[in-house]
Amino acid sequence: MKKLVKKLLAVILTGAMLLSFVACGSETEDTSTNLSTNSSTTAQTTENSDIDTSEHVTVKFVVLGNRPTNGRLEAMLEKLNAVLTEKVNAELDLQYVEWADWQTQYNLLLASGDDSIDLITTATDWLDAWPNVKKGSFMPLSEDMLKTYAPQTYASVTAEEWEKCSYDGEIYLIPENHYTQYTNHGIIYRGDWAKEANLAAINNFTDLGKYFQYVKDNKENVIPWDVSGTAANGNALASGYIQSNTDNILIEGIPIGLSTLFYGTSKDDAYTVTSPYMVGTTFEEFALMMKEWADAGYWREDVLNYDGDTRELLKAGASGAEQHHTQTYVTDDRPNMDIKLPGSEAQFYSFSEPSKNLVKTSITHGSLAVGANSKHAQRALMVYDLLRNDEECYRYINYGIEGSDYIINDAGELDRPDGWDQSIDALESNFWCGRNDDLELVNARYYKGSADMYSNYNTYAIDYPYGKFVFDTTNVSTQIAAMADVCASYIPRIAFGKVDDPKAMVAEFREKLKAAGYEEVLNEVQTQLNASK
Amino acid sequence: MKKSKNGQKQVIKKSHWKKITDSKTLLLMCLPAIAFFIVFFYCPLPGAYIAFTNFNYKAGIFKSEFVGFDNFKFLLNSGSLWLLTRNTILYNLAFIILGNILQITIAILLNEIKNKAFRKVSQTVMFLPYFISAVLVGLLAFNILNYEFGFLTTLTKFFGKNPISVYQTPKVWPVIIVLAQLWQQTGYGSIVYFAAICGIDAEMIEAAQVDGANILAKIRYIILPSLKPTIIILFLFAIGGIMKGNFGLFYNLVGSSNATLWPYTDIVETYVYRTLMNNFNFPNASAVGLYQSFFGFVVVMVSNWIVRKIDKDYALF
Amino acid sequence: MKIKNDNITILVHTIAYILIGLFALACLLPFLLMISASFSNETMINQTGIGLIPKGFTTSAYALIFKVPKMIIGSYVVTITMTVFGTAFGLFIIAMTGYCLQRKDFPFRNVISFFIYFTTLFSAGLAPTYLWITKYLHLKGSYLSVFLQLLMTPWLIVLMKNFAKSVPFEITESGKIDGAGDFKIFTALILPMLKPALATIGLFLALGYWNEWYNSMLYLSSSSSIKYYPLQYYLYRIITQAAALKNSLAGSNVNPGTIPTQSLKMATAVLATGPIILLYPFVQKYFISGITVGAVKG
Repeated sequence: MKKLVKKLLAVILTGAMLLSFVACGSETEDTSTNLSTNSSTTAQTTENSDIDTSEHVTVKFVVLGNRPTNGRLEAMLEKLNAVLTEKVNAELDLQYVEWADWQTQYNLLLASGDDSIDLITTATDWLDAWPNVKKGSFMPLSEDMLKTYAPQTYASVTAEEWEKCSYDGEIYLIPENHYTQYTNHGIIYRGDWAKEANLAAINNFTDLGKYFQYVKDNKENVIPWDVSGTAANGNALASGYIQSNTDNILIEGIPIGLSTLFYGTSKDDAYTVTSPYMVGTTFEEFALMMKEWADAGYWREDVLNYDGDTRELLKAGASGAEQHHTQTYVTDDRPNMDIKLPGSEAQFYSFSEPSKNLVKTSITHGSLAVGANSKHAQRALMVYDLLRNDEECYRYINYGIEGSDYIINDAGELDRPDGWDQSIDALESNFWCGRNDDLELVNARYYKGSADMYSNYNTYAIDYPYGKFVFDTTNVSTQIAAMADVCASYIPRIAFGKVDDPKAMVAEFREKLKAAGYEEVLNEVQTQLNASK
Repeated sequence: MKKSKNGQKQVIKKSHWKKITDSKTLLLMCLPAIAFFIVFFYCPLPGAYIAFTNFNYKAGIFKSEFVGFDNFKFLLNSGSLWLLTRNTILYNLAFIILGNILQITIAILLNEIKNKAFRKVSQTVMFLPYFISAVLVGLLAFNILNYEFGFLTTLTKFFGKNPISVYQTPKVWPVIIVLAQLWQQTGYGSIVYFAAICGIDAEMIEAAQVDGANILAKIRYIILPSLKPTIIILFLFAIGGIMKGNFGLFYNLVGSSNATLWPYTDIVETYVYRTLMNNFNFPNASAVGLYQSFFGFVVVMVSNWIVRKIDKDYALF
Repeated sequence: MKIKNDNITILVHTIAYILIGLFALACLLPFLLMISASFSNETMINQTGIGLIPKGFTTSAYALIFKVPKMIIGSYVVTITMTVFGTAFGLFIIAMTGYCLQRKDFPFRNVISFFIYFTTLFSAGLAPTYLWITKYLHLKGSYLSVFLQLLMTPWLIVLMKNFAKSVPFEITESGKIDGAGDFKIFTALILPMLKPALATIGLFLALGYWNEWYNSMLYLSSSSSIKYYPLQYYLYRIITQAAALKNSLAGSNVNPGTIPTQSLKMATAVLATGPIILLYPFVQKYFISGITVGAVKG
């Protein structure tokens, strides 16, 4: 009896496995055939120049940020959607990828191949645009399609610019090519405290350390830099130090997990690949300095387990610094700190300053892609064309509702209504992939010194030298995976000084990276970079 | 065992089709559960094939390029395979062994407490931690251990000593994690043993006491031996899961980005999660998952085989 | 002889009282700290640390939450709805399956039992499951992804099977003689007899739903369709993400830089945990019977 049962079990077990294979296998096939029919219909209608907008559709747009809960976004969308419905019979729905674990959430969202996603905010530098192009997350955009459904946008991008958005001869990204901004990273700190500390302007890490020490010694209940020790922040700090202290130029689009390790040697020798993490003494010096900073208590002892809103803490006077970029300083931190902490004279130390090593913000810093499985690709492009080029739509998506979200002052500049507080009342629509200088209003609240900052940057900034280089990871994907694990385990600890012996730690880190296949990846990058010249 | 008069032999003789039609209602009644397990457990199984591919989102799992065991290589290259296996197994062994010792001790002591109110209240309190989520366990631990304002810091300051930075001291974490697990599970686990002790024939204990056996002898010669079957069964259950980790506990205690602690706190689950989250690397994450599943499967089979050799009655199948 | 015996007994009893008492206190301590911290003044926490007695007693954290309770109430509604429906639905299926699987006249019982048990032996792992649920079932951003996955576990079915075994087979037979079908027998005759089992297993299910955060983290985060998260995941976000903490107070006009971070986290934790802790002394006995049946006969 027992034997029989056993046999039966064995048979059923294999049967069940097979069954599930068959059942699921067929379902998967279904989905994929669906997919291919989808794309073929897309292709067909594209050839059709008649635009059919009889069906009302909702266009889902992935943006980065925390969905606001102040109700202002919904109010704006209601008005915007009325306009969009009238013009192209479509409405917009924003899907947020939240800042917590954003790199993860963003890539997971794309990995899921969700066919309800139509428009996607992406970037070649801070979001993994190229790896996702290669993984098939985005839909190739034919010139016909762009001409037909996004004609104004198509006309405003030059052929050379399109080329920077293409891979294997197909266009995947729509660049934010007509918007002036600098997104070079640095440290935002308090000018008043720096003055008290007899530091005229902080322009290197050593002075920054002195500033932190002054804050530590003299400001009660203030943490010099109340930062969260996340991997993203650790990587940003490490690459900031490298930018400040070397001539190396970061090569975009080779993410090693959350880190970026590969650089061109300098602007004069851009095509020799190196990694300051592996070569030279910079990274070691960095490790030693950060260990000193950690021991001196410039950030929390439990930094690696801490999550705080550093920007808000800085604005509230509880943190002495924040790490972010020029654009944030100009549009948010400085103007708002002038209101909330009058006399704080917030300043910005650009990581590029000591080394004069700076690459201009690329046109693909904010770019738009269409979801690979989007069902409404054409309508989505039409909506995008309006958001980017139609004044009414542009103001809704970027500024909100006139009167409650913004006002236009006598000088014709954008201002905010009385009592409006960015920390509470921000619209947070985060349309960062189609802003347009032609329609952009001068913001009366933005920091007026920005022009000086820009002209200073312009004296030494260079164009990104690797515009057409897209790294193909196929040959080294296992090595990259192994290296990613090493980076995740070491870089945040080194960056926030949570190590006993920094030198030994750096040596160990380098050894592990080598064991994981660093040399092979380096050679692969070099080979492909040479080929892209 | 009571058998119906027709006996089972006749049932076996029936043709398969007859069996199905005869029991179609019962089959239908099982259908929701079967469907559930097919959809959520069996259907993802073929997806494990992803571990052998160079996964492309658009092509999907089965149309991605086949790369053989390439993805498994990184397990060895990164040098973490041994570490993960070791950590997972050692933590589980500690949970099983220390957990059972503590549970049995508590159950025996509880049995000796004659004040009913005290027993009831203490049992209720010990059960409390079982009811809370892993998220809250993580928060409660952080309240005690963190350097800035934790209870431990309050205490050390009170005694005039320097606070300890627990979250930067990897070596103490095995102790903390084991303590947290014991804290959460002991009240729950001891109930089984307590029930087993209550089930011991009272006459047997009385007879022993008349014979002059003292309380220690009672525990040693009557209570402990009578717990043996329960211990063995629970141990077997536990061994089957020796390669499975309690993700919630580890993840919430350690935090998502504290790499300092990983060498001491990483188990397969947390590693898989991170591979997915840091690298977005589906093939590699499922390679680790597959390794874990196979390893775990072998462990269950082997331990079951051994148990069968010793005593058939205790075998799982 | 007798005196010595008594001495040992007294000693053992004393040890029993002390050890059990200490362990019970240890179980209670973290909760007391949490409650104390939720009533503490934020600056006091930061300066002197958390203590057993609230430092600078204040109810400001609770006042803040109750000023804009929309988010936490929304989470409560989600969690309670899921718990109620998930428990009822799951319980019915589990009871039905458990009953069938112990029927000796059901020729497929071993086969189906193993089919279910096998899932505990071998599973696909996180990555394939994630892809399956998001890419093929399209459940990302749907409460169903959480609701469905928690409906049942193999262990609960086995437990139910063991409970159902204790119902005499004669009852099923008597139903058959009366001409009732199997489903009718189950709903009319068996189900009422399984009440204690239903209570026990229902509690396990309910606890699973109430404490859910993991599936929410995987499948609900970053979805525009989800406005309110299940309670424990809401708590997780409040604890680990400064932005979530800030968002929870939207509309309160509090300056984000001055939020009493720690006490607010604790107060949220207290509110998210409170109900289940208040409820559990009343349901404890069902758990005890469940664990006993499950473990001894399992």
